[in-house]
Formats: sequence, structure tokens, C-alpha cells
Amino acid sequence: MTARAMWLEIRDELLGILREPTALFFSVLMPVGFYTFFAAVFGNQGGDIGTEAIVPFGTFGVLAVVLMNPGIGMADARQRGWLRVKRVSGIPLWMTVTAKVIASIPYALAVLAAITTSAVFVGGMQFEPAEVAAVYAVLILGVLPFAFFSLAIGSRAGTNASAAILNAILMPSAIASGLWFPYEMLPDIVARIGSILPTYHLAQLAMVPVDGGAWLGHLLVLAATAALGAIVATMAYRTARL
Amino acid sequence: MTHVLAVHDVRHAYGDNLALAGVTLSVDAGEFVALLGPNGAGKTTLVRSIIGLIQPATGSIEVAGGSPSQAAVRRRLGVVQQDVGFPSTLTVREIVEGAAARAGADRGRAEEAMAEMGLRDLAERRASNLSGGQQQRLQLAMGLVADPLLLVLDEPTAGLDAASRKAFWATLDERRQRGTGVLLTTHIVEEAAALADRIVVLHRGQVVAEGTPAELKRTLPGRRVTARTSLPAEVLRAVDGVVSVTTHDGEVDITATEAEPVVRTMLDLDPATSDLVVATASLDDVLIALTDGEKELVA
Repeated sequence: MTARAMWLEIRDELLGILREPTALFFSVLMPVGFYTFFAAVFGNQGGDIGTEAIVPFGTFGVLAVVLMNPGIGMADARQRGWLRVKRVSGIPLWMTVTAKVIASIPYALAVLAAITTSAVFVGGMQFEPAEVAAVYAVLILGVLPFAFFSLAIGSRAGTNASAAILNAILMPSAIASGLWFPYEMLPDIVARIGSILPTYHLAQLAMVPVDGGAWLGHLLVLAATAALGAIVATMAYRTARL
Repeated sequence: MTHVLAVHDVRHAYGDNLALAGVTLSVDAGEFVALLGPNGAGKTTLVRSIIGLIQPATGSIEVAGGSPSQAAVRRRLGVVQQDVGFPSTLTVREIVEGAAARAGADRGRAEEAMAEMGLRDLAERRASNLSGGQQQRLQLAMGLVADPLLLVLDEPTAGLDAASRKAFWATLDERRQRGTGVLLTTHIVEEAAALADRIVVLHRGQVVAEGTPAELKRTLPGRRVTARTSLPAEVLRAVDGVVSVTTHDGEVDITATEAEPVVRTMLDLDPATSDLVVATASLDDVLIALTDGEKELVA
């Protein structure tokens, strides 16, 4: 398989989102809307609440894109029989997966850019550009393991069911990880559950460039998530009904 | 002659349901083999095993000398599958270019394959907006970009009009003459008879007959008798040479090696027999006889 084949796989995935963007509309709009609302309400209460909130809302934004898009795309391709065509063509699994994940990155960056713009105009942005860049680099790299779980669900469930399942994972995880409300405000039991979720560790790792603090534990959790996700996605794809 | 496909004693089951019960067949380079059989005969399972989507429980399959479970071997296959829906976001050209890249062929081959299948004028159309026949041609164009050693076609002309079918078969014939082996599954028996060098009849997961169309017609029941009679089917089945008997609304349809004993028996036992017609059995009749009366024929 050539680099051209890889590029065409990525191109096809990008075109899939560009030409039918409605599927991602809410994935982009929701986090940006939530952030803007949050920053408008709490941003003027002093301190850097509006600025710091870009980390949890940015985490939610990239999760929404990377959790939803690859899995729903996989389910759609499987239901159409297109995945069968791909498998028969001899294209390696890693290429199919990589293309879907890479194609999500520009949209995750678009969410982060929209949140940043909102932070500048509404949230009283106080981060330095280098800090923002570091936060976003952590988020883009750190969110990739979640794509594996998305692909695993898309390999087994139908298109509508995948969207429902992925939303059912995303929303509670976001709340329990403190992505919608400050973690400190969560009930104890919810906070305890949240502290073991990889979504929580992604948000905490993304805070390190601006707040400092320990990072290795968060990184190890995400690495373990990536390893587990890769195994689950491979097994799900190989045993998928095509 | 070189086998481009060799299937040996392949068995596969879905739970307790035995889909393939020891199938052995081959396709040579430049040979056109038609795989016929009723629904549930095991054709789709066999095709899916050949193109690497299913790993059969036992037996072996070799495509151009390698296992279809290997991606590199599958790239030497051209495949037209049933029930494939193209992505709604990609054009014909983008899809054929992608297929060429996956097969290790250049963009020029994609253009050639589109031209070969008459898709140049449709190149910028979204593939999902094409008609059923155009989509089948697109699948074949994808299959041809790799210059495959073996083409596996699962009901490829379903939904095609007569002119499109003719063009489709002409392309395949040209490929066969260049040495590509073709394995075709179809329900259109007469079409298979006209095109295929060899026909393999599959029923209940087993090969129940194999040969050229002429051989099958020669060696299998050659006469078909239809009539209106009150005689029960069991009586007719007991007549020498009868292979299959079906009844519907008082009309009986019999396939037999010879017509005379059947006609004599009917008239002797039921003088009221009417609408008696004796005809030469078509290949379609042969297939029906084979798959309804397989016990007699296999023995």
C-alpha cells in the first residue's frame, strides 16, 4: 500500500465531512455554545474563570468530534456494504482507522478555534498564545485514544444506534469529568466516578501547560486507554458483520 | 492450464446450519465458470469465502496460488458484490481512483477502467446518485483497475437493462480472452449457459452437477412433460426415468430422461389427462430438476 492510497483514504474521509457537514454540526455548535454561555454568565465575575473554562469546554469539544465522527462514519460504511468493499480490496485495518481519525482532527481544531474566538470576545482571554497552543496540542493528541472506542462501537452497532450509544457515553462522561460544571461543584459520588474516567484525565492533562502540576499519572491513564481501545477496536472490526 | 482459483473440500456452518458441505471447484486462467443454485444453496457463503470475508471452518481456497485471507492476494481479485451502497459524498472518479490506489495501480488505470465501463461522462457525479446498472458498472470498473487474475461476480447484472447487460458481458468476454478467470453467480440460467465455459450447480452446500452447458443438458433429464391430471405426484414419481414432479392447481410439471413412459402411464391411469405438452428441457429445467430432485441425480 502506497502513501497515495493513504492520502486518498484521508481525502475521502475529509470530503465525507465537508460535503455532508450536518452530522458534525451539533458536535461543533454545542461546545462552543455552552462555552459562550458559561463565559458570558461567569466571565465577568473576576479572576480568570472565563479563560480557564476553555480547557474543560475545549476537552468536551474535541471529545464530541473524535468520539462521534469516526464511529458513525464506520457504522454508515458498514451498513452500506462499503466497508466490505474496503476489506476485500486488501486495504490494511490501520489505514482505514488512521484515515478516519486524522480526518477528525481538522474539525476538532475548528471547535478549539471557535472556543478561542469566543474566549477572546466574551471570556476575557488571559492565556498567552503559547499556553493556548500547548493546551490544544495536548487535547488533539490526548483525544486520539477515544477514537478507538468510537470505531469499536461503529464496527458493531448500526448508524443510529452508534450515535445514540456514543452520546450516552459522551454526555455522562463529560458531566462526571467536570467538563460542563467545575469538578469541585460535583456531588462526591459523581466526582469519585469522574476521577477514574479517561475523559477526566484528558482535561487534567490539558490544564498542565497553564496550571503546572503532575502530568505523568494522567498520561499513563491515557496511554492505557489507547492500548485498551486499540485492542477493542481491532477485535470489533475483525469480527464485525460486513 | 493454470488454476486461478482452487477450492478444495470447503465446509462452513452458521451454528447448526451447514452452509457449505465439502465444496470443491476450480477456475482456470481465461475460463468463465457460472455458479448456479437456488437461494440458500451456499453461493453467497462460497463467494464470501473466496473473496476473503469468511474463513471457512475446513478445507482450502487458493486464489492465484495464495490464500484470500492475505490482503496481497485479495488485491489480485476483481469483485462485484451484491448490496453495495456507495458513499453519498464521493464521485465516480474519486471512487475509482481510490480503488486504483488500493490496488497499487496509477491514476491512468482508473481513467482507463472508467472508459472501459462507459463511466467517463459520469465521472463527476456522486456515485450514490447513479442508477442500479451504473453502480454495477462502477463496481466492475473498480474491479478492473487492478488487472485482476480472477473476477468474482455475485449477481452482477441484477437491475441491468438488456443493453447494459450486453455491454457488461462484452467487457467480461474481452477480459476472459486476455486470460482473466471469471466466476459468476447468477439466477439467469440461460445467460449463464450462453456465456459460461463451465457450469457448477450448488445445492444445499454441495456441488450436485458440473460440466459445460451442453454436457449438463445431455447427461441430465432431457424432457419436460406438463399436463392436467388427477394422478397423485407419488404415482408419477414412481415412473421410470422421472427426476422431478411438481404440481400446481391440478397441473403437473415433470422432468424426465424420456417422455414416453410418463405419457403412457398418465394416459393409461387417467384417460381424462388433458393439455399434454412434451418439450425439450431447458437448462433452467435441468437446474430445477437438479435442485429439487438432487437425490436421484447425485446417485
